[in-house]
Amino acid sequence: MIILNIIIKDIKIIFSDKKALAIIIIMPLVLMTILSFALKGSFASSDEVINNKVKIAVVKKYDEAKDTEMFKSILKSSFLKTGFEDLESVDLLDELNVEDMFFNDFLDSEEVKKIISYNIEEENKSLEMLDNSDISAIILLPEKYVYDMKMNLLTPFRNKIDIKILTHPDRNIEGQIVKSIVKAYSDAISTIAIGKNVIIEASNLYNIGDGGLEGISDLIEGMTESIQSINIDIDDVMVDGRKSITSGDYYAVAMMTMFILYAASHGGRMLLEEKDNKTYQRMIIGDISEVKVLFGKFFTVFIIAIVQIIIMVIYSSIALKVDWGNLYYVTIISVTAAFSVAGVGAFIASLTFKAGNYKVANIFESAIIQVMSLLGGSFFPIDILPNVIQKLNIISINGIVLKSYLKVIKGHGGTDIINNIILLLIIGVLFTILSVAILKEGRGRLNDKYHKVENVKA
Amino acid sequence: MLVVEDLYKSFGNIQAVEDVSFEVKKGEVFGLLGPNGAGKSTTISMISTLFPPTKGNIIFEGYNILDNPKKIRNKLGVVPQDIALYPTLSGYENLSFWGNVYGLKGAELKKRINEIADIVGLNGRIKDKVDKYSGGMKRRINIGAALLHKPDLLIMDEPTVGIDPQSRNHILDTVLELNKQGMTIIYTSHYMEEVEYLCSRVCIMDEGKIIASGTQHELVELINGKTQINIKTDKIDESLEECLKNISGVYAIKTMDDIISLYGENVDILLAEIIDKVTKYGRRIESIDVKKPNLESVFLHLTGKALRD
Ligand SMILES: Nc1ncnc2c1ncn2[C@@H]1O[C@H](COP(=O)(O)OP(=O)(O)OP(=O)(O)O)[C@@H](O)[C@H]1O
Ligand SMILES: [Mg+2]
Repeated sequence: MIILNIIIKDIKIIFSDKKALAIIIIMPLVLMTILSFALKGSFASSDEVINNKVKIAVVKKYDEAKDTEMFKSILKSSFLKTGFEDLESVDLLDELNVEDMFFNDFLDSEEVKKIISYNIEEENKSLEMLDNSDISAIILLPEKYVYDMKMNLLTPFRNKIDIKILTHPDRNIEGQIVKSIVKAYSDAISTIAIGKNVIIEASNLYNIGDGGLEGISDLIEGMTESIQSINIDIDDVMVDGRKSITSGDYYAVAMMTMFILYAASHGGRMLLEEKDNKTYQRMIIGDISEVKVLFGKFFTVFIIAIVQIIIMVIYSSIALKVDWGNLYYVTIISVTAAFSVAGVGAFIASLTFKAGNYKVANIFESAIIQVMSLLGGSFFPIDILPNVIQKLNIISINGIVLKSYLKVIKGHGGTDIINNIILLLIIGVLFTILSVAILKEGRGRLNDKYHKVENVKA
Repeated sequence: MLVVEDLYKSFGNIQAVEDVSFEVKKGEVFGLLGPNGAGKSTTISMISTLFPPTKGNIIFEGYNILDNPKKIRNKLGVVPQDIALYPTLSGYENLSFWGNVYGLKGAELKKRINEIADIVGLNGRIKDKVDKYSGGMKRRINIGAALLHKPDLLIMDEPTVGIDPQSRNHILDTVLELNKQGMTIIYTSHYMEEVEYLCSRVCIMDEGKIIASGTQHELVELINGKTQINIKTDKIDESLEECLKNISGVYAIKTMDDIISLYGENVDILLAEIIDKVTKYGRRIESIDVKKPNLESVFLHLTGKALRD
């Protein structure tokens, strides 16, 4: 395969150019090290979760009035007798407000408020919101929730209560958080219910009567307190989820995504260099098509980018203690990133070749890479930029790559990066097609610039 | 083997090649002689399928290569006028890559590279980087790269420009040796001595056109009896040149360094008159020599100017 020979030759050439090598490999290593130490302070380890509250919707599928009615009638029926004849007189019913327990004592408690903000919504509306990613999860309080809770808390019965939590597949981590918090709540309720049963049983056994009931009323008073004190440890919640980004993580990714763009400009010069060297003409005479020569450059850029990525990932893991996360995802992002950079490299190569001078490659290097780096967040995180400018970051390849790596470092999964991967592939394919079209355009004049007009002497 | 018919090529409003036709026969060394800008490289580039002519046809072994460039490409070796190599790679790496281009690999390629290194006399330095080579060594490896696949037709575009006499002789002998082994060669130069030494048939080009072609003998016949006289004097100025030009029988005149070359008929009469004029002018003649007609004189005769200036 002659393409392989062309690639090997091009790589040898790149590696014989020490200056180029220093720029594309050593420089990012130095920069990421300096920046990661210099800017340590600005990457406080504060949890993003708390900065960004998890938005959820709560759906009430029960009817409070009906449930209360039902509970009352059950109590009155002969079905429940022992020890409860006086219940009505105690009027525990009013004291135990199941809804308050969930909303006021739990969701609005100091601890939970820090993490979750909620709205009460209709079921259909909430599903729509979840679909649109307006919220991260829905808590569905089931039919007869109030009735079942009262039964559980005030009678010896234990009805099964199924609180459902719907989460968005893209919001895995937020979903996890909501689930663990709700679980903490239901654990607390269970403890109370069990405690209540012990009291009821004891009072029955010793026929204490009123004493037992007093115990229950104490218990109910204590409920609020115990629910409010549900201790939510965010760190525990995040163990298998989101990890916060350190300055080392950030700048390892930022410099890497910026400097792989230099592979494109290097490769972008190589085609015209061959023409100036006259080796391009020699290849054409040797029956190598121009598209093959171009693809040689494409793969050369691809391989340089991959080599850069491997070196930087290894260096940053060792020297900057960057934990890159799931290596399988890291590999996928790296390969697609290198692919799209290679497409851009081929595009620059064709333009430069056609122009007959290195302006295109130079402008790419001195201006376009810088703008892309700024918009893509390679210099500093873009969330400090105005919103409008933040939106522009989709035009920067390095921005897309950077976002993807950061997501994996934070612990996000495949569904969170798939869109970026697809976008990178599209960019790569598009630029590759363009580069071939540009090179083939006006092929008849392909080598008209072969002779320098230096020999007009005679 | 190769027929070039009515070739035209223009770059914008520069007419680089105009109505060029010639034929190269199998087994010969064909010379393309002409001064700078004559259109030699342009003609060669079109034969090498680098770009199409504006008009005309190129037939190689019966195929029109403008429609069928592949028919010539793998049988052709081209030594370009410029060094077409990767300067940061070694001679060996370069040869190895160009061998790959022509489908050579493995042991065969290795063997061939060693043979080539022998032929071009670079055995000891083959692993050095090309940009560490001297000008002559670069020229030689540039030739080597065109020989790897043992082409049937070898085109050499001024392969001896700017090198020392020793490298030059080596190259010229290599050309004769390759030709002896059966390779057909098109040799381009503006050194008439080289063309005289190597070529059986010659095409002389100037300003894009062929001004004469044939065997050396046929070309020299064109002059029939006209002679070149070189005079060396202590000082030369334009008025002297002007004065000599006006002598009847002098066809052309050119000055190089301190030598005036005249070109004309009836040497005996001319000589006397020239010596007379020069002395009258107050110049001292240091030497005079009368030259047998050669391609240089043919060119001078046909164009009124020197091949090189
Ligand atoms: N790409 C080009 N664009 C414009 N003019 C060109 C181009 N290539 C060649 N020419 C012109 O065509 C003419 C012939 O050039 P060419 O290189 O064929 O001459 P040559 O005989 O090889 O000269 P030399 O001995 O200096 O190599 C020159 O006037 C040159 O300037
Ligand atoms: Mg030339």
